[in-house]
Amino acid sequence: MKAPSTLSFWSARPYLVSGLALALALFFSVAVGAVWIPPQTMARLLAALAVPLDLSDVPPAYRTIVHNVRLPHAILMALSGAALASSGAAYQGLFRNPLADPYLIGVASGAGLGAVIALALRWPATLSGWLVVPLAAFSGALLTVLIVYRLARVNQSLPTTTLILAGVAVSSFATALTSFIMLRSRDELHRALAWLLGGSTVNDWTPVWAAFPYIVTGFLVLWSLGHVLNVLQFGEEQAHQLGIPVERAKLLLILAASLTTAAAVSFSGLIGFIGLIVPHTMRLLWGPDYRRLLPLSALGGAGALLFADLLARVALAPQVLPVGVVTALAGAPFFLWLLRRAKSEFIW
Amino acid sequence: MKIGARLSLQSIQVAYNGKAILKDVSLEVRPGEILALVGPNGAGKTTLIRTASGVLEPAQGTVQVNEQDIRQLTPPERARWMAVVPQARQLPATFTVVQTVMLGRTPYLGWLGFPKKEDEEIVQQVLRRTQLEDLANRRIGELSGGEQQRVLLARALAQNTPILLLDEPTAHLDLHHQALILKLVQQTVQECGLAVLLAIHDLNLVSLYADRVALLVNGRLQREGLPAQVLTKSEIEHAYGVEVELLEHPRLSAPFIIPHSNGSSERIAYVG
Amino acid sequence: MHRSGFFLTILLATVLLVACTAGGQTLSSLPSPTSLPPTPQSIRLRDGLGTEIELSGAAQRIVSLAPSNTEILFALGAGNQLVGRDSFSDYPSEALQIQDVGGGFGNLDVETIIALQPDLILASPLTAAEQVQGLRDLGLTVFVLPNPLQFDDLYTNLMTVASLTGRIQEAETLIVQLKQRVQSVDEKLSGIARRPLVFYEIDGTDPNAPWTAGPNTFIDMLITRAGGLNFGHDLQGDWVQVSLEEILRRDPELILLGDAIWGGVTVEAVMARPGWGELSAVKNQRVYPFDDNIVSRPGPRLVDGLEALAKLFHPDRFQ
Repeated sequence: MKAPSTLSFWSARPYLVSGLALALALFFSVAVGAVWIPPQTMARLLAALAVPLDLSDVPPAYRTIVHNVRLPHAILMALSGAALASSGAAYQGLFRNPLADPYLIGVASGAGLGAVIALALRWPATLSGWLVVPLAAFSGALLTVLIVYRLARVNQSLPTTTLILAGVAVSSFATALTSFIMLRSRDELHRALAWLLGGSTVNDWTPVWAAFPYIVTGFLVLWSLGHVLNVLQFGEEQAHQLGIPVERAKLLLILAASLTTAAAVSFSGLIGFIGLIVPHTMRLLWGPDYRRLLPLSALGGAGALLFADLLARVALAPQVLPVGVVTALAGAPFFLWLLRRAKSEFIW
Repeated sequence: MKIGARLSLQSIQVAYNGKAILKDVSLEVRPGEILALVGPNGAGKTTLIRTASGVLEPAQGTVQVNEQDIRQLTPPERARWMAVVPQARQLPATFTVVQTVMLGRTPYLGWLGFPKKEDEEIVQQVLRRTQLEDLANRRIGELSGGEQQRVLLARALAQNTPILLLDEPTAHLDLHHQALILKLVQQTVQECGLAVLLAIHDLNLVSLYADRVALLVNGRLQREGLPAQVLTKSEIEHAYGVEVELLEHPRLSAPFIIPHSNGSSERIAYVG
Repeated sequence: MHRSGFFLTILLATVLLVACTAGGQTLSSLPSPTSLPPTPQSIRLRDGLGTEIELSGAAQRIVSLAPSNTEILFALGAGNQLVGRDSFSDYPSEALQIQDVGGGFGNLDVETIIALQPDLILASPLTAAEQVQGLRDLGLTVFVLPNPLQFDDLYTNLMTVASLTGRIQEAETLIVQLKQRVQSVDEKLSGIARRPLVFYEIDGTDPNAPWTAGPNTFIDMLITRAGGLNFGHDLQGDWVQVSLEEILRRDPELILLGDAIWGGVTVEAVMARPGWGELSAVKNQRVYPFDDNIVSRPGPRLVDGLEALAKLFHPDRFQ
């Protein structure tokens, strides 16, 4: 395996390649689905996104499918993929542990618990959905992270080992509580289970508008901490000696990464491996500089999740597989391959 | 860069888990000199370096730079006064040499960390001075221990501080690299008037490169002064528990220490 | 880079291949509307979510999102008006010929639903409220049929669907028949001396803690109406897990295996479960497989379920 790129930071090539892959992924996500749309009509429908076109002779069903079902769904998947991959990269950098993942410190379990509680309380049908469930999921995620932070803190510092231990413990507790609540209510169990596996089952623009501000804000904060993450790779002590306010930086990183992850989980359910595989791949291809790794992971994560979602939608049409199942099926072998590569040479 | 800074530790007490590691240590490092910190393993040398750099908070006592308590400084301010060269251990393997040295400019870069022309020039200068130009784009994971240590020294030099702290930089290095590192430090001190605190356990290297020596035993400062004053037969034997023979260095006025190895001596401790 | 470019191409090719060959629907391949006598005025009804739904005429292109709704539609003779159904609708067998629109884990194939151009989507509480709202936001008409608590509610539902589909007469006929059958069962069961304790097993994956139906379920209602006493009647929740010890303590007279339709659960297997041999029901060979669908789908087959249960509980009354 050749050495990671020593391209100067300002090289555009990685961004172009990742951006192109993402554009392709978006294109196929919108062009391909359970219903076959003739290429000419598809071309016009896609063009209509950029320029105003007269679409009166296009069957309204096709227009609805492309503009109001596939497009918002694709954008939501792209946002979620970007969120999961960039926060995964951030956690790996923060903990200097290649297995660090949004799930390791309990964010996802906390989000799941929050959402299930909201569903179990039986909010009126109109309020639930966009306002309550994702907010509850987000509160759950933050609460979990803050509890874990408190538990793992030793004097003024946050040792990695205690953090991961606390994360696993709290995560297990949250999951157990989630299962218990799900078992207590039969009707909502169905809904909760569906949500946990594949996120919101509604495909229009509302979840996109709701997810967008959280994910974009969280990502921008993470990206601004790219240099800090670079310094942290040499250990907290050396980072401190180089002038980084370490505790403050760690708190900011955890909050931003958790915000981003919680938003993704709120709207897309529990999807694993994106936060693990994508950053690793980007690191292998283009080096460990976090100022670059974070945006590249976001681009790569968006593309990867879009491809996984495409597979989930068409592999067994009209049945739709949960996306998390596809990412696990594809991600696990990929991860094992990555592991074998890592053993034979330094990738960290 | 600020010049002529003085580092002083006053009545430092540091405890860990209820156990006292440093007991009432007071030290001063003056600009233009190398103060070597020596002592047996576990004496507290590393702890002292960590306390001096601000990583550890002393239970009592203060660390001051030019009479200012470092606790009153923000982390970036402190990092512009003091740089630390740690031991080259568990470094992130995929960073290149130039990326690593550039990190030394952190206290001068903004939050986003984008270097300016000035920063790039300083890094180039430092790479030249530490003879790392040819290795600039190599991953540090591929370098030898000596080369890695040089990279960390370069990073600290790039930080452009008047005070330099080194924590056993010559451990695990061969003769060539030991000499190289210490010569570099000496040169920089002479050219820029740095104040250097050097924790080191090879007593013979101390003799060759240090201006003053502080002997730390069991967390207490046993003796401080010129190498010839501190590195006496009785002080060393008392501190290290080994019989030694002292020779006069042919050219310098510093002692040369050779541990005894007659068959009857059962306690053999390596000095250096 | 070449390596990753190669993989990317292969992946793309695979995806394209799958997408093109994976049974895609086109608008033309989907069933076209059948002709029916048009109802003159518009239909306005309030659905189970409290939303007022208006149709300009009897629905001709219906998508059913629940197996119970599918059964109701066929029972009313409106099977030809159905253009799409959820994956679980399997009765009657004609339903299997109708376009599948998904529904497992709440994942509906929205694209196919839209492409079918339905004029009515008949949903049930099985479909989450936000999904119903989502479909409505896409411009589709969704009517949620509420779950009946008693038989009277079932008849109301039948009339509702009949109004929506222009099958009033068929509904009236069906309701009369169903009422007669229910009445017949009530009469045959009048003055029964005792109610046998019945354990209805919903899931026996863990034989030491099987799942049964609690109160307020169709199963509970039917067992009671059929002259039995549901084991889970005084417990809490819709689905309840009970310990084998409790079953041994209360010793039900009959055991019904509602999970028999999932395969692997046979009478012999159940009777051979460790500890189960002590139960009277096992000793007296009163363990029966049971078609869960006729007691859990809120459609006309609930009456079939009632009759089947009554015959099992009081065979002497049904000679």
